[in-house]
Amino acid sequence: MLMVFDNIRNALTRFLKGGDYEKSVEEFIRELQKELVRADVNLKLAVEITNRIKERALKSEPPPGISRREWFITIVYEELTRLLGGDKKPSIKPLKKPWVIMLVGLQGSGKTTTAAKLAYFYKLEGYKVGLVAADTFRPAAYTQLKQLGEQIGVQVYGEPDNNDAVSIAVKGVSFFIERRTDIIIIDTAGRHHKEEDLLDEMRKISEQVKPDEVILVIDASIGQQAHNIAKKFHETTPIGSIIVTKLDGTAKGGGALSAVAATGAMVKFIGTGEKIDELEVFNPPRFVSRILGLGDIESLVEKV
Amino acid sequence: LSSREKLLESIEELKLSLVANDVAYEVAENIASELTRRVEEGSIKSREDLVKALREILLSYFTGLNSIDLLSLASSRKPLKIVFLGVNGVGKTTTIAKVAVYMRENGFKPLMVAADTFRAGAQEQLKIHSERTGIPVFTGKYGSDPAALVYDAIQYGLNRGFNVFLIDTAGRMHVDVDLVNELKKIVRVAKPDVKILVVDALTGNDALEQARFFNEAVGVDCVVVTKVDAYEEGGVPLSLVYILKKPVLFIGVGQDYKDLKPFNPIEYVERILTGLQ
Ligand SMILES: Nc1nc2c(ncn2[C@@H]2O[C@H](COP(=O)(O)OP(=O)(O)OP(=O)(O)O)[C@@H](O)[C@H]2O)c(=O)[nH]1
Ligand SMILES: Nc1nc2c(ncn2[C@@H]2O[C@H](COP(=O)(O)OP(=O)(O)OP(=O)(O)O)[C@@H](O)[C@H]2O)c(=O)[nH]1
Ligand SMILES: [Mg+2]
Ligand SMILES: [Mg+2]
Repeated sequence: MLMVFDNIRNALTRFLKGGDYEKSVEEFIRELQKELVRADVNLKLAVEITNRIKERALKSEPPPGISRREWFITIVYEELTRLLGGDKKPSIKPLKKPWVIMLVGLQGSGKTTTAAKLAYFYKLEGYKVGLVAADTFRPAAYTQLKQLGEQIGVQVYGEPDNNDAVSIAVKGVSFFIERRTDIIIIDTAGRHHKEEDLLDEMRKISEQVKPDEVILVIDASIGQQAHNIAKKFHETTPIGSIIVTKLDGTAKGGGALSAVAATGAMVKFIGTGEKIDELEVFNPPRFVSRILGLGDIESLVEKV
Repeated sequence: LSSREKLLESIEELKLSLVANDVAYEVAENIASELTRRVEEGSIKSREDLVKALREILLSYFTGLNSIDLLSLASSRKPLKIVFLGVNGVGKTTTIAKVAVYMRENGFKPLMVAADTFRAGAQEQLKIHSERTGIPVFTGKYGSDPAALVYDAIQYGLNRGFNVFLIDTAGRMHVDVDLVNELKKIVRVAKPDVKILVVDALTGNDALEQARFFNEAVGVDCVVVTKVDAYEEGGVPLSLVYILKKPVLFIGVGQDYKDLKPFNPIEYVERILTGLQ
């Protein structure tokens, strides 16, 4: 799982080999831009990032004791980390109990599977978890979640014959609150940015349930539209965090990262397979240093 | 700037606009280098020439492909067997229900085959489609061998006069060796007349990879691009025919049974061009 930065590392190695500083900056920037776009990072965003790196690299002076090349690398590191949502460590602990999470996203992005993965993750952390099946749209959505809940021993609230998703969500949440559940996870139907009725439904669920965290579940293979779509979702119900799914394929996930820029939310988890335990906590700084192949980058950044 | 340099600059801009519409980078580069070649050889002299040449190049991707017509195939081959493949969540199962309705409307007797025995709810999903459409489905047990299920389904269907078999498969990543082997086995057993790759219209550059890998593994005869209602001007159809040289059979434009349309290359190319200007 290399995500976005597959070929950037090679460009960086070439950069470190030396030669004229300004020329190698230019060349690196050109390659970076191309690789970002090939990895599906939104075109405008890729231009913005590379321009910012270039400007900082050519216009600012490195602090004393740091070479220009080292300085350049820390700039690249910082900007790429920012692309992934910043240098904060994601906080995965619920800030209060009960903690109500609502999953939203496009059709087929992986919400239902991820709902079960999250439930299992938190169950292993020792929390009492409940799942609410508030997708009344997709055929057998309730059965899917029910079967997953049975696999992991987590209770699922659902009303397969009710087609009012808002009322199911509201009742499901009170059902679990009455049973002193710590974390309540609501699965919702897939929808896209042009389906106003469905967006309206999502808004209503969130207004009535008042979730503590709305998570956008987004497929790693999505392209340039991710930005628009995430923005539209964010305007409908503010997105608190992001989960990128299906990173076990060949997709680099750059589209999903456009959602970070569009919402200001962080990637908290990534999905790396269909199985229930194939969910990883995501840590942007560690990820960037690993991908750039620069083990000691954090100490370098500290030195700077 | 000379007019040649201006044209080359315009080509670079066009390339980026194509990329902004999710025409895969490799494909956009290919189009750009063809345009550049035409500028160099003098057949493109103005901005108008450029747009004209671009339209021509885009259309050329869709011309000369073997056309596939399920209705005439179904009349000539009894039964017609179709396997649907693709990565996770693209819309295979939904598309099967839509195609089943389409085939029935045209006088055929389709059987849907629920050979996804892996994903939670997959069997029930197709069962519900069956209840809603009245089109029968052949189901099996979770965890059972999908190839064996397909074999049984075909025996069952042949004895009962079904003449179109629509075989659903579990979504899988094209790089997952075990799952790709499983798919090969399904294909060996089903001996399908048509293998349809299903791809989501919102996919970025990975559309190339999906097309390449599935084509190498089992061969792809045509594609269905789904969720086009979310992204009409998206570049995925172009990226797919670039790799596969196989036609786009249908597009999915919503979640209802009626939301399946034949793909119209001319309309599509105009939509891309409008998006660029
Ligand atoms: N390979 C892989 N497949 C995944 C991952 N996450 C989910 N999937 C698969 O993606 C497909 C769609 O997942 P669902 O959970 O049904 O997606 P959804 O967003 O709930 O879909 P709708 O409810 O129809 O909008 C299923 O085949 C899942 O098994 C992942 O991280 N990797
Ligand atoms: N808007 C829209 N949604 C679609 C379209 N086609 C399918 N969907 C939705 O996409 C989601 C996934 O569809 P499925 O048919 O379950 O996809 P699949 O490829 O069978 O998924 P797996 O079997 O899990 O790999 C469902 O919510 C469908 O309703 C389409 O053309 N437009
Ligand atoms: Mg779902
Ligand atoms: Mg399916």
